[in-house]
Amino acid sequence: MRLQARGKEGEATFKLDVIHSGKDFWGEGVGKYWKQKCDSWICKSVLSEGHQRTVRKVAWSPCGNYLASASFDATTCIWKKNQDDFECVTTLEGHENEVKSVAWAPSGNLLATCSRDKSVWVWEVDEEDEYECVSVLNSHTQDVKHVVWHPSQELLASASYDDTVKLYREEEDDWVCCATLEGHESTVWSLAFDPSGQRLASCSDDRTVRIWRQYPPDNEQGVACSGSDPSWKCICTLSGFHSRTIYDVAWCQLTGALATACGDDAIRVFEEDPSSDPQQPTFSLTAHLPQAHSQDVNCVAWNPKEQGLLASCSDDGEVAFWKYQRPEGI
Amino acid sequence: MAGSQDMFDAIVMADERFHGEGYQEGYEEGNSLGIIEGRQYGTLHGAKIGSEIGCYQGFAFAWRCLLHSCTTEKDSKKMKALESLIGMIEKFPYDDPTYDKLHEDLDKIRGKFKQLCSLLNVQPDFKISVEGSGLSF
Repeated sequence: MRLQARGKEGEATFKLDVIHSGKDFWGEGVGKYWKQKCDSWICKSVLSEGHQRTVRKVAWSPCGNYLASASFDATTCIWKKNQDDFECVTTLEGHENEVKSVAWAPSGNLLATCSRDKSVWVWEVDEEDEYECVSVLNSHTQDVKHVVWHPSQELLASASYDDTVKLYREEEDDWVCCATLEGHESTVWSLAFDPSGQRLASCSDDRTVRIWRQYPPDNEQGVACSGSDPSWKCICTLSGFHSRTIYDVAWCQLTGALATACGDDAIRVFEEDPSSDPQQPTFSLTAHLPQAHSQDVNCVAWNPKEQGLLASCSDDGEVAFWKYQRPEGI
Repeated sequence: MAGSQDMFDAIVMADERFHGEGYQEGYEEGNSLGIIEGRQYGTLHGAKIGSEIGCYQGFAFAWRCLLHSCTTEKDSKKMKALESLIGMIEKFPYDDPTYDKLHEDLDKIRGKFKQLCSLLNVQPDFKISVEGSGLSF
């Protein structure tokens, strides 16, 4: 894995999100928009008026025209992109304290936010850009760190300081918690679905990555389900690879490679062994980059269009781009 | 032989016997004190929850009256959430503290109330006091 570019933000960078075209990305602490020009990245826009405190997470809408920013000031701003300019179209309020994550559903009609107030909120947006709260979910017992949507179903997943992952779906005009995944021994920091949506990866303060698989009712493997909800089982645990908390995990939608961001300043990439049993897969470490940054790596994101291009950001205030190549013989 | 053993028993086992009696007395006293304390705690806690839900119910009833005549699409969503909250509150078992889903249902009611406030664009910041200070203008 080699370094392609590195950019200095100035302050710790928490999260970044790569727009679906692969050419633009958002990094923040404040909120900076970068565009790729040839091989280097130019900062095109700085949005410093939207939030009063740290911007913890940003997310591009599936259509690429909107950006959502989640902040410690307890609000979530929705920005509309107009070439290289952004205009704040609305501010979502309601959380009692720091909003930790925001995610758009693939349909583009739903948005999820989560907060230290232990709740997950689901919002619906209509054609007139009006946002409405559809549900407030109080299932977690502690700070909720991350929310992510399933790539093709209207299924929401959340990760929390209470060591669990919870899944939610819509039921009769309201949202309910349909599954709780237990197994991690400490805070679950982040989640990522695989390209098919059948599996979910979770990373934790317990220094492991767990892979969970969905088993629908009447599945061939005989996994028991209650009612009509699928069951989720942990089918693989990657332990012994990370020496500190794993803050982020990203599953490449193009190649299926799994990247992790770790508190030991390193980035790692794992690939599934093609000959392993789908019900009990094994993953091998195919790239390990110690000292990728000089401090904790907070976030990793795969470029959705360009294979092998990985972006990372860190407490050291830098954003870096990496070119990953799958080793021969895998 | 048996007779003399009984006589010595009374003396030799006196220590243990007194320990036992003391323990028994202490246990009973602790038990009744515990019940009193428990009852006080239960009353306080129950009052808090009752007060909170009562607030939500009053709020919901008031808004239901206010929105009674409105018929827009948006208002129907508000009404739906309102009716849902009222329904949840009415179904809540007030007389069964051992109901196993008590906290789960309570959290659902709180979540529905928060969603409703968001839809109505109202800030929920009233204080719930157990002393019952009543209304203030």
